[in-house]
Amino acid sequence: MSNLAVLPIIIPLISGIILAFFHKKVTVSRWLTRILTIGNLGLVSYITWIVFNEGSIILETGGWEAPYGIILVADPLAITLVLTTNIVATACAFYASHSMNIKEETHYFYAFFFFLITGVSGAFLTGDLFNLFVFFEVLLMASYALIVLGGGKVQLRESIKYVLINLFSSVLFVTAVAFLYSVVGTVNMAHIAERVQEVDQKGILTTIAVLLFFVFATKAALFPLYYWMPKSYIVPNPVVSALFGALLTKVGIYSILRVFSLIFVYKLDLTHHAFIWFAGLSMIFGIIGALSTSNIKLIVAYNIIPAIGFIIMGIGVFNQDAMSGAVYYLVHDMIIKCALFLLVGTIAYVAGTSDLRKFSGLIHYYPVLGWLLFVSAFILAGVPPFSGFIGKLLLLKGALTNDEIVIVVLGLLSSLLILYSIMKIFIQGFWGEKDESFVKKPTKGFVGPVVFLLAFSVILGIGAEFIYPSIDTISTYLLDPEVYIDSVLKE
Amino acid sequence: MIFTVLIPLLLACFVPLISKLKDKIHTGIFIFFIPFVIFLYYIQFVGSDFTTMKQTINWIPSLGVNFNFYLDGLSLLFVLLISGIGALVVLYSIYYLGKDERLGHFYVYLLMFMAAMLGVVLSDNIYVLYTFWELTSISSFLLIGYWHFNERSRYGALKSMLITVFGGLSMFGAFILLSVITDTTSIQSMIEQKDIILNSTYLPFILVLLLLGAFTKSAQFPFHIWLPDAMEAPTPVSAYLHSATMVKAGLFLVARFSPIFSSYEWFFIIVSIVGIITLCWGSYMAVRQTDLKAILAFSTISQLGMIMAMLGFGTDLAIYAAVFHILNHATFKGSLFMVAGIVDHETGTRDIRKLGGLLTFMPMTATLALFGTFSMAGIPLPFLNGFYSKELFFDSSIHLTSNGLSSFAEFLVQVIPYLAVFGSIFTFVYSMYFFFGVFGGKNQLSLLPKKPHEAPIGMLISPIILVLGVIVIGLFPNLVNGTFLAHAADAVKGTVAEELHILFWHGWKTPLIMSLTVVGIGIVLTLTRKKWAGVYRFIPGKLSLFKLYDIVLEKLNSVSKGITKQYMTGSLRLYVAIILGVTLTLTFITMFATGGVTIQFDNLADVRVIEVSVVFIMIVAAIGTIFARNNVAIILIAGVVGYGVAVLFVIYRAPDLALTQLVIETVSVVLFLLCFYHMPKLRKRDETKSSKSINIIISVGFGALMTIIGISAHSSKWFDSIADYFIETSYKLGGGHNIVNVILVDMRGFDTLFEITVLGIAALAIFSLVKLKKNKEAE
Repeated sequence: MSNLAVLPIIIPLISGIILAFFHKKVTVSRWLTRILTIGNLGLVSYITWIVFNEGSIILETGGWEAPYGIILVADPLAITLVLTTNIVATACAFYASHSMNIKEETHYFYAFFFFLITGVSGAFLTGDLFNLFVFFEVLLMASYALIVLGGGKVQLRESIKYVLINLFSSVLFVTAVAFLYSVVGTVNMAHIAERVQEVDQKGILTTIAVLLFFVFATKAALFPLYYWMPKSYIVPNPVVSALFGALLTKVGIYSILRVFSLIFVYKLDLTHHAFIWFAGLSMIFGIIGALSTSNIKLIVAYNIIPAIGFIIMGIGVFNQDAMSGAVYYLVHDMIIKCALFLLVGTIAYVAGTSDLRKFSGLIHYYPVLGWLLFVSAFILAGVPPFSGFIGKLLLLKGALTNDEIVIVVLGLLSSLLILYSIMKIFIQGFWGEKDESFVKKPTKGFVGPVVFLLAFSVILGIGAEFIYPSIDTISTYLLDPEVYIDSVLKE
Repeated sequence: MIFTVLIPLLLACFVPLISKLKDKIHTGIFIFFIPFVIFLYYIQFVGSDFTTMKQTINWIPSLGVNFNFYLDGLSLLFVLLISGIGALVVLYSIYYLGKDERLGHFYVYLLMFMAAMLGVVLSDNIYVLYTFWELTSISSFLLIGYWHFNERSRYGALKSMLITVFGGLSMFGAFILLSVITDTTSIQSMIEQKDIILNSTYLPFILVLLLLGAFTKSAQFPFHIWLPDAMEAPTPVSAYLHSATMVKAGLFLVARFSPIFSSYEWFFIIVSIVGIITLCWGSYMAVRQTDLKAILAFSTISQLGMIMAMLGFGTDLAIYAAVFHILNHATFKGSLFMVAGIVDHETGTRDIRKLGGLLTFMPMTATLALFGTFSMAGIPLPFLNGFYSKELFFDSSIHLTSNGLSSFAEFLVQVIPYLAVFGSIFTFVYSMYFFFGVFGGKNQLSLLPKKPHEAPIGMLISPIILVLGVIVIGLFPNLVNGTFLAHAADAVKGTVAEELHILFWHGWKTPLIMSLTVVGIGIVLTLTRKKWAGVYRFIPGKLSLFKLYDIVLEKLNSVSKGITKQYMTGSLRLYVAIILGVTLTLTFITMFATGGVTIQFDNLADVRVIEVSVVFIMIVAAIGTIFARNNVAIILIAGVVGYGVAVLFVIYRAPDLALTQLVIETVSVVLFLLCFYHMPKLRKRDETKSSKSINIIISVGFGALMTIIGISAHSSKWFDSIADYFIETSYKLGGGHNIVNVILVDMRGFDTLFEITVLGIAALAIFSLVKLKKNKEAE
């Protein structure tokens, strides 16, 4: 039974290995990938159901008991995010064959794709800080492979920055883990949490916590550490951008969420209060970035930053509503960011350019694409009744309960500008006169995955009554580290 | 009740299907029945024995977001306006929009709007209200941009959306605050707990945020600037959304919440001032316009300001006058918009400079316009409803009490009557300007794109019905008084007031004298309009809020471009410097703030000469890499550091680690040398002194930081390490004497599995990169 916890990691790993052998047979690869992602999605849904009904699944790998061996913890938060990851992955699996050329596909794209999912799922599920580092390496290595796939000049130029900065933060990560191990003598997260609590997070511990925060914040593309992100996210193929935008920064923010709700929660005035500042600045600068460009892909890439701001604000406020909001927003943002990256990728493909100044009137040829973008803009901005609204409502309510009025005002203002930044694409790119000389490219297969994702956004909003209680459970759980510690250490 | 909201939404889904038949039957004919039936449904509630109704359907009960529908006098008034005017507008649009238009789109948006607007006025739940509120903004955006191939339509659509969504969001902020304070999401429960709200420290915030929502939606000064540009929408839309209904949502909001805030002095001050300024500014600016719809747009702004001001006054009389005028304004302004549409349709222009003398060509339209404009001007005639509410407005403006108010409020009470008269004079002037400019004077047929003739009867039906409304209410004001206006006013006040009787003749009292003053000065100003029109060159002159919006939007884009260019230079060195700099500064601050530095030497091994010398060599080598100018040299010197580490491992008796380190070091040095053979030589960087010194500070600082944390971490060993367990069980449970091996392949084998995966991925990645490149070259 407890072996279920490892399946979301092992299945993509094995899938990736199998796909590496079939790399030349592109039709087989495509169908195999689709079948495997759907199968995995089904399985993860089942595991999620079990976790929410019967409690967290704990797996002590190799039979080495906690806290000595590596522990996998499929708790409500982790499994929810793994489920979301698999939803995103399924959409991308179906989109990939349309946006990639056969050459890219046969050069192990599908293998790297599965390795990325392996890394992401592993990062969510592990209960061991050093193992988290290992999974970071897995997902980063897969992302290095994906970002250079195709080998364009711009790709190589931007990816070198991406690789170097991530490599650096990995070094810092492992150093911070070493420091922490030196103080508390363990790397099991529950055990660390227990020991940090015992000494009330005194002495050097908060400093190490801050160091870890910066490691994760660099990966999460938080202000002012996001410089590497926007341009490197838009150079690869749209489906890769979508995977990155939906998953990579989110692993960073998840790590902050986990570490600063489970372990370092005894100096809230110092650490969490500062998060709110980071949140505000991320919102401001992210949206400034999104407004600064007429490259539609870059607009979406910059929009990652304020979203991260919203989530970190929830962690900073650290009460029931705010944490629920942060988790809700995290799930929402993974889905909508993926959809948006796929959408703008498609738009850039049909328009032949990603420069907004060079095309208009697309709605005459692609009405469906236009309306999907239109709806996505409102979902992203948090307009009811879609998913973004529920998250934003909870976040702002939580913040106001703690009298954080400034961040609320910033959050509301940035919502308006987020809407504006995406709506610009609709108004300038889709509205306008019909260009009679335009040659229409077929978009069969591009739209399905986006509709699939947006359906989830709508369900997360309109059907919030069914989802919210689960998120509320997660939030209650996160605010009480004892539950996690007890479930892992079984004392 | 809920079905009246949901049915238009559901039916909107079928409109695209119906619109396929548009060549045979105009889509609007089907649509007409929706608002008409809704109107018939709600008309049954009109009557003196009206009682409020509630209906609840759960949506997200755990968040308190439910469809709590609530029908009281105020919502009934709005519901009737929305459905009634809606039916007339759809009827009118059948003749206005030809079958070559995208009718499917038009009616989907229109139905969406109708449902949203009904939702706004019927929702008792703040979040559902907000949902519908945003939906009205969205549908309005789509309707303004209906002819999106026009640049002006796109501009107007974006502007209206930005301003109204801005307001919507700030209203949302107010709603969250209210729900946090009162712990409820129902407006009626909030009204019951108004003392808690009035005593809250957040009261000013709530009021300002809420009013921002109302003012932006109802186009109050200085947010009125979106309304004139919204006139790019097809005229039926202007008549419906931008005159009769949507722009009144802001008034509705203020009215809905006025039972809570009416006793708060700042509510009176802000709402009255903004309202009265809007009244004056709107009517003053209307006279300057040359486009018929622009005149009507400013006129709408001004009239909305007047109603807003009355809601701010908050006296029984003022509130009654406000709801009365909401009804009256819908009748005469709706008909005038339709008239403007007819004129546009039949002559091909809306430019008042080209129009004139149309009375003989379009007698029916002219008659309708006559009633509409004269009612709007408030001319004292017993068959014009506009006069009654205008008279009540004057009456309420002179009966404001300043008891117990601050001196500023007292001053306000003194000047309001004068401003009311001032605004009304210009209302008179633009009404006359509109009517005589179009229908009076000489005709200029040569300037018109089309030869004018009377509109088809179908187009005239709707304005005729509205004008009949003007006359009937004018003749029998008490027909609407007790039956539903009184209920509406009671809902706004939150109490049941004594019955008011509306009379045409009050006797020679101040309000009548004010009205006559307005007419007198108005006539003079109308006749001499051309002489004083130069005043617009000074007020507003070049200062224009319209330009301000353009500048703000332009700056938003250009400034953000500037800022982003500043730091997104693409320079990796800069990025790393910023990341390190921030991490360094904040981590140091944390360290000192929490007293993190602990340095103890008591649990350290003795330091011998050999260790010191190895470390010394390593330090020298590390520093050497910075100064070396040759690729190969750098690699070799860096190798020295690595081998030094290996030596240290040997000294501390970890031969396996030492071996690993040696292998890694050797392989990487060789690899680097192989790669660097193909790479360009290092060049000296052109750097300014300051950036160089900043970089030095950052790198030295970071080194120092890591060292201090390392030492402190080592000095803070408060717990037993789990390593002891590994030592104990390595052989017992793992079956191996080499602990490191057991850890790697068994205890933490899971790590190792994925480290191997990492290497595998790396190999595959390099392989694919090289091969793809080769394939490319082969082509």
